[in-house]
Amino acid sequence: MGNLSEIFNLGLFQNTLRTATPVILAALGGLLTEQAGIMNIGMEGMMLVGCFAAVAVSFAMTNALMGVFAAVMCGIIIGIFFAVFVVKLRSDEFIIGMALNTFAAGTTVFLLRSIFGVKGTFADKGIVPLPSVNLPWLESIPVIGPLLNGHSIFVYVTWIFVFLVWFLLYKTPYGFWIRAAGEHPESLATAGINPDKMKFIASILCGILCGFAGAHLSLGYLTMFAEGMSANRGFIAFACVIFGMANPPRVFLAALLFGFLNALGLRLQSVGIPSDITAITPYVVTVLMLVYIVTAGESKKKRRAKRLVAEQKR
Amino acid sequence: MNKFKIDYSYILSLFISIVVALFIGALLIMVTGHSPGEGYGAMIEGVFGNSRVFGNTVAKSMNLCLTALAMAVAAKAGMFNVGGEGQLYLGGLAATMVGVLMSSASPTIVIPLAIIAGAIVGGAFAWIPAWLRVKFNVSEVITTIMLNSAAIFFCKYLINGPLKSTEKGVLAATENVFVFKLAKLIPASNLTTALFYSAVIALLVWYVMGKTTLGLEMKVTGENPKFSEFVGLKKDKLMIWSMIASGAICGVVGMMEVYGIQGRFTENISNEFYFDGMLLAMIMNYNPFGIIAMSFFFGTLKIGAYAMELSTGISGEISQIIFAVIIFLMAAQGGFKQFFGDAFGKFKAKRYKAEETDSRFSMEELSDDMGLDDLGSKGEE
Amino acid sequence: MKSESNTETQETIVQFKNVSMEFPGVLANDDVSLDIRRGEVFALVGENGAGKSTLMNILYGINKPTSGEVYVKGEKLESFHPGVSISKGIGMVHQHFMLVPSFTVAQNIVLSKEPRKSGFIYDLAKANEITENLVKEYGLKVNPKDILRETSVGIQQRVEILKTLYRGADVLILDEPTAVLTPSETEELFQVIKRVVKEIGMTVIIITHKLYEVMAISDRVGVMRQGKLVGVKETCDMNERILAEMMVGREVLLDKLEKTGETGEVKISIRDVFVADDRGLPAVNGISMEVREGEILGIAAIEGNGQSELIEAVTGLRHIESGEVFIQGKDVTELSAGEIREQGVAHIPEDRISTGVSGHSTIVENIIIGKERRRPFSWKGIHLRKSSIVRYAEDLFKKFDIRGAGISTRVESLSGGNMQKVVVAREFSYDTPVLVIAQPTRGVDIGAMEFIHDKIIEKRNNGAAILLASADLDEVFRLSDRIVTIYEGRITGHFKTGEISKMDIGYYMTGDRRETKDE
Repeated sequence: MGNLSEIFNLGLFQNTLRTATPVILAALGGLLTEQAGIMNIGMEGMMLVGCFAAVAVSFAMTNALMGVFAAVMCGIIIGIFFAVFVVKLRSDEFIIGMALNTFAAGTTVFLLRSIFGVKGTFADKGIVPLPSVNLPWLESIPVIGPLLNGHSIFVYVTWIFVFLVWFLLYKTPYGFWIRAAGEHPESLATAGINPDKMKFIASILCGILCGFAGAHLSLGYLTMFAEGMSANRGFIAFACVIFGMANPPRVFLAALLFGFLNALGLRLQSVGIPSDITAITPYVVTVLMLVYIVTAGESKKKRRAKRLVAEQKR
Repeated sequence: MNKFKIDYSYILSLFISIVVALFIGALLIMVTGHSPGEGYGAMIEGVFGNSRVFGNTVAKSMNLCLTALAMAVAAKAGMFNVGGEGQLYLGGLAATMVGVLMSSASPTIVIPLAIIAGAIVGGAFAWIPAWLRVKFNVSEVITTIMLNSAAIFFCKYLINGPLKSTEKGVLAATENVFVFKLAKLIPASNLTTALFYSAVIALLVWYVMGKTTLGLEMKVTGENPKFSEFVGLKKDKLMIWSMIASGAICGVVGMMEVYGIQGRFTENISNEFYFDGMLLAMIMNYNPFGIIAMSFFFGTLKIGAYAMELSTGISGEISQIIFAVIIFLMAAQGGFKQFFGDAFGKFKAKRYKAEETDSRFSMEELSDDMGLDDLGSKGEE
Repeated sequence: MKSESNTETQETIVQFKNVSMEFPGVLANDDVSLDIRRGEVFALVGENGAGKSTLMNILYGINKPTSGEVYVKGEKLESFHPGVSISKGIGMVHQHFMLVPSFTVAQNIVLSKEPRKSGFIYDLAKANEITENLVKEYGLKVNPKDILRETSVGIQQRVEILKTLYRGADVLILDEPTAVLTPSETEELFQVIKRVVKEIGMTVIIITHKLYEVMAISDRVGVMRQGKLVGVKETCDMNERILAEMMVGREVLLDKLEKTGETGEVKISIRDVFVADDRGLPAVNGISMEVREGEILGIAAIEGNGQSELIEAVTGLRHIESGEVFIQGKDVTELSAGEIREQGVAHIPEDRISTGVSGHSTIVENIIIGKERRRPFSWKGIHLRKSSIVRYAEDLFKKFDIRGAGISTRVESLSGGNMQKVVVAREFSYDTPVLVIAQPTRGVDIGAMEFIHDKIIEKRNNGAAILLASADLDEVFRLSDRIVTIYEGRITGHFKTGEISKMDIGYYMTGDRRETKDE
């Protein structure tokens, strides 16, 4: 493998940042609902609607920002919809999440055909993409400069979001309420705050973040809409949430790790290794992580029981 | 033992959901500038118009029905198998390999072997999350979701890597399987002798779930695992084996896709078939009869929508939207009932009380009690 | 109201007017009218299920009464929501703590009223400071930075109390506060109650069923029975005997069970057993006991002292850390629940809903399960034979006097008493030589209770060895031939039923008295 340096070059890490971004955004939304005690597997659908709304509005109004705005509005609507069913009507969150994915896939394709009259992919010069950020001063820093410079604007916005979500959850009362609503809703209710309200808020925030994710995917990462273009990213995001134990910095790192694997896979193709093999890793690693989390807690308890009983016997 | 009781209120909910969904579908058809009559007419024409399309509909329904039953088998014992898609892929792959490796053998040997291979591999792949759940209490919901994608990418890896063929997205040497394709029951349709195998599986599932000690034990375990252990049932074994059975059915579905319909193994052997079946099983409360009936409805909807798209140009995705709407409404039917039931019950209770204590009846009191503000926020516990 | 007759100058702080509360099938509160005065310690006593907690949950806004009115400081409660009650100065410490395990002590105390800086930022340092100040002010020692999950129940209770104090409560409701406490912790709690009443004029309502606590701490006492308030008295005019009579109601119930037969060989033998609870903390610390055929050994203990874990360990539902259990001479220490049943054990679990039945299933299914593979009920253990199953179930349905719409009724729709009869019917129809019974009549009406007691005694008289655990001391006394008292996972006393009084048992249940017996 003489071309190792060709694989592990700057481009690899640039790609990592690029591919990880939509996943990070969706995962931030997913971790909010997770913290609020809702297992959300509808992120795939939430993102897809965002993709479509962003492209459609950007094309119609020739304004990328309006596209993003539309995606976010759709995210809010879906978040409310999700919460009404899951929180208010007490439906199974799993069924609703799955049905949401089906619904989003169906609706976007239906609209694609009915509005734009195309099948499969809609790519048009009229779609205004999101701008990229080019800072000459950043560019001039060796290594870090080229790595961090020149990305689509949402790559940077995402980093801010990671901080904001972390700040919300761990540094504001609202975050504590959301977490209490997920961990022990009765304690929040008896303290006089309605946990359902917190779940609602978490769902809506999740919708918003997935809207951003979708907008970035269709206006930043690519400039088009394709059927099912969320391409399993919602599930990867879910894996990140589990892998990162719903903690924003950890979820961020998990998404970067998975993004790295993805970027690496694409590059390995050039030396004849199918990218699919690296695509498997996130899922398998997440399963292993889950087993580790659960068993570590259990064995700690068992060891403690052994030790304490031994103490009692003395 | 369970007297066959029909839950009329549930059927009513289902009926209302279907009507609402079809109404939404009609609106969507109108949006595209066609009349609902034209759209739904084309759908019906596309399903019952000739024997070929009808055969396709039956084949599609069969596929849905089996995946739904697979879900039901696991769910009955309290295991939530979301991983049927992956089990289907790997089962189909194993079945294909049988045909590929035994290309010179007779179909009477190869087909049963392919079914068995599909069942074993599908079951074995379902065993992993089941074992993790029973042994370590790791949520099978999450692990099966993860293993789905892992299995699909594994198949893609083989197709794009070691077993690459000249045609993109197709497993090498699968043309060998073509000779073993199941006999068609209706010429030119997708309906093959797989129907018989499916019927056997469906009957078996119905019998075991409804008529045997095993079915009763599974039911009790699924409803209250603690109780199951308490009365001395082999809870862990029941849970693991029900999951394996579920995976085996999915594996066989994969085999049928390869040998019955496609005649080769491609990277799109299933288009999220399992998820449709899974949702269907869930809204039918895992009732085998309900599952069979609803699979025909959804099978008709899907095939009809394709036909509608071909003949009228209306996007066939309407079927997906109708499907999703029905799922949404049925998933929330308990919540809706409670919501309306509360409002209605309150009103009735008040009326009753008002009649009893006629003298104290006042309009003010009535409106007071019907205040909507606390309708949804009934504190539990 | 009775209490109004001897009203002093003290003002009324909380008033219940004709409050009734109906849950589906149960009238939990039946036309209750009650005044609580400012600055008093009011004890609300009654047996399990008498409606004490329900009444207080209404005051705290968790339950909305079906009818009646509640006044706090003269103002009518217009809507029932904890937020409203909190703002009126009501604080409640629930039996099951309402705390978030992963938060720190301080974070739990300030939950929903967090100190903030610049509007929306959580001031964590301030939260710790607030907690320190509360600790100083009230003398309830906690460490603000401890993660709640890692603290003991005693500390968690303090956190609950501090939580209400921080919210400015002047009416404090304590729901069975001592059930989880050690005696020294209980003593400390009483000191705190006395202090807050005396120094800051708080009103404390304490729910309990321990009469010595009523005498020790309260100014007035209200007794509830089956949803009704049967009397309110000045504590100094009362004694435990009268209170007990008021609580239990009719005396006739007791002591008319006929016990016959001789005890035989040892059937259950428990040898130096250690068991951990769900959290991995030691619950049973070296217990040994034996039960012979034809006798009932009763375990008397306050809840949470390891008796539940011991019962689960004996029946194979919980891992035994150390020690051995023998059933009919066979070592069953490592066996599963199913295997232990095969040794001839039937078991009535303490929590019927979570363990004893499958709620969604029908009565038939709940009765037949466990026997479904046996001879008349299935063909070769595979095919269910519906007709023999139905015949069998219908027979038991009548024999055990289960009242429901029929054997294909779902068990979850039955009342507590009938649900328990389903459990008893299934377990007793095994005809095993060994029975392990926990809380046989919890939440069960009097009629069903007498029926179940009769059945238990019938089993005993027919030579079964029965291990019984109950939180209801009367029940233990009524059924047992011998009684052991357990405290903090250790046996503290062992008596023949006729040779000890209930009072004395209470003494042994509440502490390790072996060293201090002669004080």
